[in-house]
Amino acid sequence: MTDVVLSLQKATKRYAGAPAIEDVDFELRRGEIHALVGENGAGKSTLTKVMAGVVTLSSGVMMIDGATAAPSTPLEARQLGVAMVFQENSLVPTMTVAQNLFLGQERFYNRLRGVYIAAQQFLQSLNFDVPPTATVAALGAAKKQMVEIARAVLHKAKVIIFDEPTASLTPEEKKYFFDLVRDLKKRGVSIVFISHALEEALILADRITVLRDGKKVVTDDASKFDRARIVQAMVGRDLSHTLYGVKRTSVRPAGERVLTVQNLKMAPMVRNNSFSVFAGQITGVFGLVGAGRTETFKVVAGLLKRDFFHGGEVTLRDNPVRYRVPAPAVKAGIAYVTEDRKVEGFFETASIARNIYVGLLAKFPRGRSLLSKREQAKSGKDWIQRLNVRAIGSEAKVVELSGGNQQKVVIAKSLIQEPDLIIFDEPTRGVDVGAIVEIHELVNSLADQGKAVVVISSYLPEILALSDRILVSRQGKVVEEFSALEATEEKIMYAAIH
Amino acid sequence: MFGALRDFAQSFLGRGEATITVPSFDGALKPNQALENAEIVLQCEAPEDLASDGQNLFLADGVRLLRIEEKGATAVREFDAPITAICALPGSGLAVALGGQEVRCYGAPADAQPSVIFSDVGRAVNALTPAGDDALYATDGSATRDYKDWVWDLMERGRSGRALRLDLKTKRVDVLADRLRYAFGVAAMGGRALVAESWRHNLVAIGPEGASEVVRAHLPVYPSRLTPAMDGGWWLTAFAARTLLVEFVLREPAYRKRMMAEIAPEFWVAPKLRSGESFKEPMQGAHLKTMGVVKPWAPPRSYGLIIRLDSAGLPLFSLHSRVDGINHGIVAALEHKGRLYFIAKGPRRLLSLPIEGLAKDYSE
Repeated sequence: MTDVVLSLQKATKRYAGAPAIEDVDFELRRGEIHALVGENGAGKSTLTKVMAGVVTLSSGVMMIDGATAAPSTPLEARQLGVAMVFQENSLVPTMTVAQNLFLGQERFYNRLRGVYIAAQQFLQSLNFDVPPTATVAALGAAKKQMVEIARAVLHKAKVIIFDEPTASLTPEEKKYFFDLVRDLKKRGVSIVFISHALEEALILADRITVLRDGKKVVTDDASKFDRARIVQAMVGRDLSHTLYGVKRTSVRPAGERVLTVQNLKMAPMVRNNSFSVFAGQITGVFGLVGAGRTETFKVVAGLLKRDFFHGGEVTLRDNPVRYRVPAPAVKAGIAYVTEDRKVEGFFETASIARNIYVGLLAKFPRGRSLLSKREQAKSGKDWIQRLNVRAIGSEAKVVELSGGNQQKVVIAKSLIQEPDLIIFDEPTRGVDVGAIVEIHELVNSLADQGKAVVVISSYLPEILALSDRILVSRQGKVVEEFSALEATEEKIMYAAIH
Repeated sequence: MFGALRDFAQSFLGRGEATITVPSFDGALKPNQALENAEIVLQCEAPEDLASDGQNLFLADGVRLLRIEEKGATAVREFDAPITAICALPGSGLAVALGGQEVRCYGAPADAQPSVIFSDVGRAVNALTPAGDDALYATDGSATRDYKDWVWDLMERGRSGRALRLDLKTKRVDVLADRLRYAFGVAAMGGRALVAESWRHNLVAIGPEGASEVVRAHLPVYPSRLTPAMDGGWWLTAFAARTLLVEFVLREPAYRKRMMAEIAPEFWVAPKLRSGESFKEPMQGAHLKTMGVVKPWAPPRSYGLIIRLDSAGLPLFSLHSRVDGINHGIVAALEHKGRLYFIAKGPRRLLSLPIEGLAKDYSE
């Protein structure tokens, strides 16, 4: 048996003639943690999908344990010992956690209680606090991710591929995840993981491979990399000073009070939450997963309903509002850019232009009698240009785009509504550094135009880099407010935990 | 019939008028302890209002009019009724409201005889300000209760306040707006009067013909007097902060009626100018204290707040005395010679802060 568990030689995958990866050589050693980094569209996901049997190579060879392998389905790959945890989770939302864990492994006769007990024990062994009887749809993004990870571990794979595994995890959950990965490594499992959080790659990985434009740029030991070297390899230019870590020296002054949330209740996630959002400012909202941030703003945007009895009050420009569906909120100038773009953000098989046009139509709660294909094409083209969406054209399907470009489509879909209050929920989750810079510039320009902007993020450097004012949420309500000038990571985290 | 059904449904569901919520102190209203750090200028008997002619600072203290000097205060004169409002007039004149009912204008503060008298202007005249063209704006809090009985007006859900324009030449009194829910504080805003409506927690701009526009709504406090800031905008004082408990009581008429009939006003569930002095007060124990220490974030029975507004009425920053502080019940604030003087009616003090650096220190 060789030391190399999986390798790819001259791997090429073309979509409609355009190469997603080209002549990539890749080698995964037994018991190593190997990080794959690169901008969105660099080919990381395609490379891992080839390994996991989701797509097959156009040319080139894949070898597993020294033998040529060409799995054409994820099931075949799993039988060969390769499992993948997807970036956009692939769980069945209407089934319970336990059912999802054992999906595909059912016996002829399944005793449900036994399945739940086995799932409970397994989840506890991983230190994951997820109830096995809960329906997946009711779980937050982080817990869904945990179920995904648990499922891969359960399949006893010798290679586990993680696509953005920590994007939705809190710092504490990340620590658990890192321990879990190290534990898997000790057991001889090889790990491939894609991450846009470069620090994670540096901390966790033994080796790092950088891809750019579908080609391998470099593979080296993690100890020989630093953040700047990775970024330079990824984008071909130095971005390290434009993203995070620059201390704010000024903040935008607060304008008109656009939104006031008073004693909002939505059991069990939002508990007596009160705060305001002002025009011309970016209000950052930080909190651990389960702090009720997303739910609060979903109530504001009409995506969720507050408690029926004594649910509190939401005022938009001093007028009480109560949206039962999103359409009137959109009409009133509220746009919510979802954290879960695959499920809530777009119609993946529809074109970019159509998705953006749907956003415009949402502004008319009673519908529009006339739809214009010309208007659709024009708006699609405009927004692709304005947000620098990298696509073949406005008729390209959203599913074909990389994560960062999909996110830009979701943003365009909201911005076409010309909102006054824009709520970005985890705007750069699963987005590469180049696109992060562009999205940050966009968010800043919206605030400069006098719009009220809310950025919900679990990534502290992002909150610090973007916000003029930072609200910290804990256990369903805002517990602390900081100016960006006084805020530090320590202060914010202390408020979020204690 | 429909109204009654609606009211019942709203109170059952906790919606509409029955939504018992209070806006949070955030953004420019984020709490600090600035008022607790202020310098005590004078301990008084019954401080009420401030006025400045640019050179001299005057303080209304009960029936006495005091001039504040570097080493204390000098009595300028005494009146036969408590002063409820004062303001400086152009050309070193002074206007005073006495007993909430009468407004007198003097050519100079020490003049024996007033130049103009407006008798029976109202029942609770509580703020005066020059309106230009030999006129004054005044606010009359209530037509049913005296100035000192403001808490009765709140508990009776009074709506008999008025904004007035007093013409010094013709001695005519024009009612700019009536049915206000305790008008308390007025400032000139272009050709209009900017009026603080305490029980509605609003600032309203009222034009000469009575047309009104809400400039700032849903304040988390009971706003009171307004004075102009030197570099544009105003200083707005608030004599108490809103709490969920008081908001709840204000929606329970039977409870209020019985409370007013059976309990001494100082122990009502109502905003106060000072608190923490008696064990009979509502909201005790863990409401306010942890391990014997008053929680600064506890529901405030009394509170101190001054808000700096810009020329559009937008809050820029605020100065607070929180629940664990003393300088509560702020009813007047005035800029004078680079300092901000203010009256904390709770501890009966005149205090001051240097204006320079306030914006930098207390802006977001």
